[in-house]
Amino acid sequence: MLSRVVFSAAAAAAPCLKNAALLGPGILQATRIFHTGRPSLAPVPPLPEHGGKVRLGLIPEEFFQFLYPKTGVTGPYVLGTGLILYFLSKEIYVITAETFSAISTIGLLIYVVKKYGASIGEFADKLNEQKIAQLEEVKQASIKQIQDAIDMEKSQQALVHKRHYLFDVQRNNIAMALELTYRERLHRVYKEVKNRLDYHISVQNMMSLKSKSRQ
Amino acid sequence: MASVIQVKEKKLMDVQLGELPSWILMWDFTPKSIAGAFQRGYYRYYNKYVNVKKGGIAGMSMVLAAYVLFNYCRCYKELKHEQLRKYH
Repeated sequence: MLSRVVFSAAAAAAPCLKNAALLGPGILQATRIFHTGRPSLAPVPPLPEHGGKVRLGLIPEEFFQFLYPKTGVTGPYVLGTGLILYFLSKEIYVITAETFSAISTIGLLIYVVKKYGASIGEFADKLNEQKIAQLEEVKQASIKQIQDAIDMEKSQQALVHKRHYLFDVQRNNIAMALELTYRERLHRVYKEVKNRLDYHISVQNMMSLKSKSRQ
Repeated sequence: MASVIQVKEKKLMDVQLGELPSWILMWDFTPKSIAGAFQRGYYRYYNKYVNVKKGGIAGMSMVLAAYVLFNYCRCYKELKHEQLRKYH
């Protein structure tokens, strides 16, 4: 009993301590970190807009930047020209009949890419956008569904808070009915008692009348 | 050679010229790590040039150019007979 007094005194003296003791386990559980061993990859980062820059369609920009401090802007082009001349003169690249077919094929490819590249890119972009719009629709529909469920849940919770009105009404009804039956029975008792008393009075009256009339 | 201690984790550009053989020997040549290296290289190329919103011709053309070069190197031995001049 003394310990209880001490506890209550301590609680009264330091109310924050009491609250901390009540909330302690809850706070510990809320901040526990789940170690999964590797960082999760969600949310996935968005795709980059453009790929790595490439010059002449073949050589990445990093090569040009690599040679820029030593040779300036024309360095890689001079290097390319020198290499091509070297291969041709030393016949490391042999000119055969296939060379001409290769030249015409590559020329045709470059012509097609230069002329229709942009429009094909736009077409592909439109297809992509359609796909993304479809997926976005599905996502939005699912979000809306869940939001509707949440709203219904909230409204039902609000209703649950109001059900004490129902009980109050029922309680009042029962109290009124009880009061009614009580008063009814009271009135009935009064009537019965009055009936009996009236009977006795009327009997007395009659007896006295009879005795008076006989005299 | 105080720099040998951390040689394995250096990239190609940071390795000194003298340590190149030892740096190459430090790689592990197990099949699993070779496959891993191929996979990493593939994904590096794929994520840089192909897996973008507005890719261009570069992603595919570099692969085709590399394929053309590889086949030319393979056929060079037979092509040497078709050279126009004997002495260069």
